[in-house]
Amino acid sequence: MVCLKAAYRYDSALNDGAAVLAKRSIALARGFLWRELRNRFAGSISGGLWALFQPLIQLAVYAFVFVHIFKARVPGADAPGYVPFLICALWPWTAFSEGLLRSTTVIHDNSALIGKVALPREILVISSVSASFIVHMAGFAAIIAILAISDSGIQLLGILPAFLLYLPLFALATGCALVLASMQVFVRDLIQVLAQLMTLMMFAAPIFYERSALPETYRGWLDLNPFTFYAETFRGLLLGYGTTDFVRIAIAVLVALIALFIGHRVFRRLDPHFEDFL
Amino acid sequence: MSVVIAPGPTETQALVDASGLGKSYPKVFRNTDRLRAMGGLLLGRGNRDGVSVLRDVDMVVNRGQSVGIIGENGAGKSTLLKLISGVLTPTSGQVRVAGRVGALLELGAGFHPEFSGRDNVMMAATLYGLTAAELRDRLPGIIEFADIGDYIDEPVKHYSSGMIVRLGFAVIAALRPDLLITDEVLAVGDESFQKKCVQWLERYLGDGGTLLLVSHSMYHVQKLCQRACWLRDGTVAMQGDVFDVTQAYLAYHERKAARTEAPTENRATIEFTVDQFEINGQTGSQPVLIEFGSTLEIRVCIHSRDCRVPVLLIGILRGDGTAIYGFSSETDEVAIASEGSSGDYRFAIELADLQLLPGSYTLRAHAADSEGLRLFDTAIRDVTIRGSTREMGMIRLPHRWIEHHQIEVGESESTPDPHKMAAS
Repeated sequence: MVCLKAAYRYDSALNDGAAVLAKRSIALARGFLWRELRNRFAGSISGGLWALFQPLIQLAVYAFVFVHIFKARVPGADAPGYVPFLICALWPWTAFSEGLLRSTTVIHDNSALIGKVALPREILVISSVSASFIVHMAGFAAIIAILAISDSGIQLLGILPAFLLYLPLFALATGCALVLASMQVFVRDLIQVLAQLMTLMMFAAPIFYERSALPETYRGWLDLNPFTFYAETFRGLLLGYGTTDFVRIAIAVLVALIALFIGHRVFRRLDPHFEDFL
Repeated sequence: MSVVIAPGPTETQALVDASGLGKSYPKVFRNTDRLRAMGGLLLGRGNRDGVSVLRDVDMVVNRGQSVGIIGENGAGKSTLLKLISGVLTPTSGQVRVAGRVGALLELGAGFHPEFSGRDNVMMAATLYGLTAAELRDRLPGIIEFADIGDYIDEPVKHYSSGMIVRLGFAVIAALRPDLLITDEVLAVGDESFQKKCVQWLERYLGDGGTLLLVSHSMYHVQKLCQRACWLRDGTVAMQGDVFDVTQAYLAYHERKAARTEAPTENRATIEFTVDQFEINGQTGSQPVLIEFGSTLEIRVCIHSRDCRVPVLLIGILRGDGTAIYGFSSETDEVAIASEGSSGDYRFAIELADLQLLPGSYTLRAHAADSEGLRLFDTAIRDVTIRGSTREMGMIRLPHRWIEHHQIEVGESESTPDPHKMAAS
């Protein structure tokens, strides 16, 4: 059954030519992305500017709560301030978790469209994840700029590699999102479970704390959380806090690619049956 | 908007080739069923049991053909279109489509209420597969075709349903697909827009386009399609020439509406029974197919239990039960003779150059006693008249169109009315 769908697509690809088909897919992805972004900011007075304001407001809140109420400090002699420490891990996390949570329901949300128009449905998922990443990367860029200007110990040379690090993170998010979005069609309560799981995952990664703050026996467990690598590497690149290990980068890229592959396979297998269960 | 589809060397190529096509929906009652179904699919097992909505559909549509798909609600028409357009995946069999498909399964599908008409047109065109460059070229044409004025920049939520229809069809019209699939689209929209759509479709077909049309309007199907496919309960009941199929379909409906119970009396005790009712040499209970304008020959044998002379009454009724014409052996004063002493009386009637219009009819043969007072037995046969006339009603009445100058002459002699002169 799966191969039938594939045969169908292959056939039309033959007729149109692969280049035209790719062009159409890109046009479609851009259309969905544009729509998704407009949807998120539709009705807000500031429009697109909100994408920049939101992280700044959040930053102010976190700075106040953690620094002035909890008196949080990062251990170590030349440790960065807590606010940049938190930002460097929290912003990528927000992109990741929001990307997953929003894209999980995207097939279900677009069921009316899916029943009426033949389209490659992966594009819906990818566009949704992309929208979250674009919004939060823009916010991240703004906040890093502010931190750099206010001399909070940002390593200017690390900024470009840090943004490149979003690539495997995006691949990981897309892979997971493809699995989750296709499963959400069948299991409706997945999204509720996922919301809880994401909170758990956030606290099970060194975002609000540092690895050394954990008791010795638990530290190794952190590496089971795929986001641990990203939290620590973003900090390593941007703040020079901790080391940037190339083996770990290679592993992370591999994990991201495997996630993407599995996501693609699962999605392709379930995709022909979406209509039956929507 | 001009539509140019180059009729290439592939003119007789099959654009749609479906074989053994079937679709069944899984039975899902509880949430655990959904989970189990997902597990099965992930492990590569299909859904074993399901509710079958379409079975064994074989269909070939060649380039340049137009096919109407007709059938009752729930017969599987929309499912078939969805399978062909690639929205649904078949459970069994396969379908190949060689070319760009423009499927209009629902007008305004994919429109977002918050966005303006222009934005939605752009998105819809992208959804249907136009690239950015193609869209740039065709956008003015789309907006012109939709003809909704300044509303194009208003959010779609402020539109009337008619405006959404206009916009949706305008997008499809701009697609210039190899295969156009439409589902009950002509039923919406006002009279003038319907006309515009039909005109556009006729031009599209004239330029070599291929059309798959679902409609409950036999008028539209006959007007736009050469072939038709009648789906009944998920299978193809009939496929072929549009007039044959639509007439059989209408006949089926009329019969369904006016199906009367056959008398169930004990035939042995009846004084007169209709033993044989043969139409154009065909016996049995199958409907008889007769060409419009040909000869209808009826042969009836009535058995009289005590050798009294019977009277035969023949009634012609429209499929829905409306009486059209009746006659009897008594009023026509036919001489009747028995075959020996068996009590069998044979009748033969010929209706030459039958003027019943194409459609479905019922023929009844009644056996009455010699006084013609009491009906004893009735035999019923269904007859379908086939033909491709566009006359309306049930029967052709002889008529003649009087030529124009003759009217003028007649009028001017009696009343030299300047108004009438102007009108002519």
